[in-house]
Amino acid sequence: METLITEKIKKVKKGDKTAFEDIVSFYQNKIFQHCYRMLGNRHEAEDIAQEAFIRAYVNIHTFDVNRKFSTWLYRIATNLTIDRIRKRKPDYYLDAEITGTEGLNMYSQLAADNRLPDEEAESMELQRYIHDEIASLPTKYRGIIILRYLEDFSLKEISEIMDIPLGTVKTRIHRGREALRKKLRHV
Amino acid sequence: MNCDNEAIELMHKYLDNDLMKDEEEKLRHHLENCEQCQKHFHELKRTITLVQSTERITAPSGFTESVMEKLPVEQKRVRYKR
Repeated sequence: METLITEKIKKVKKGDKTAFEDIVSFYQNKIFQHCYRMLGNRHEAEDIAQEAFIRAYVNIHTFDVNRKFSTWLYRIATNLTIDRIRKRKPDYYLDAEITGTEGLNMYSQLAADNRLPDEEAESMELQRYIHDEIASLPTKYRGIIILRYLEDFSLKEISEIMDIPLGTVKTRIHRGREALRKKLRHV
Repeated sequence: MNCDNEAIELMHKYLDNDLMKDEEEKLRHHLENCEQCQKHFHELKRTITLVQSTERITAPSGFTESVMEKLPVEQKRVRYKR
């Protein structure tokens, strides 16, 4: 897959805009999900995820094709989400409607399966609860937890994406796991 | 072994695949004898499972089209220059 993406990127670098469409299409769910987990709501997530792709396109000439594109793209997206969080008003997180409640039951596109309605509701409630608890982690832990456990990046890749030393990634993932453990142990 | 510092530190190293053989032995030995740490370790592993069990989220429909519409047209200039 990475080879195919590299071929597309070479085309984009030469000015072929349509090749970029395949890149967006391939990464849209991953990047949107990442932004959504970071920001906690879909409107902002859509906004920032789109902005991430636009920035990637505009700055594609700075991307070194010998490196891993996903790491570069996630770095752009992560920086944008952190900027957005910083620009929020201090009382933003007190607004329950924004932090999470507009989440999973109304908007998420659940995969069709054969669970009973009761089980489904219970599971959705649990999903939403976990989502909210992740969203309420301090930003510096949240990003790492998401990248590690929801996007499957290695700690070394996370250190590149977030531009922090590997040792710091390890300290933060340790603290992030402890913070989440306390929030989720009664679930 | 001290639970709060040493044992918990080793648990996190375990979760990051950073444990040395002798550390692994030490942790296992401690867990066999310390119920509280067993519980802590179990909660940590369960936390990760819970996080990983959350629903995969998909981008809104029309996402790609919307990005493509918003891209600047400047790339054309590049083509003319070449």
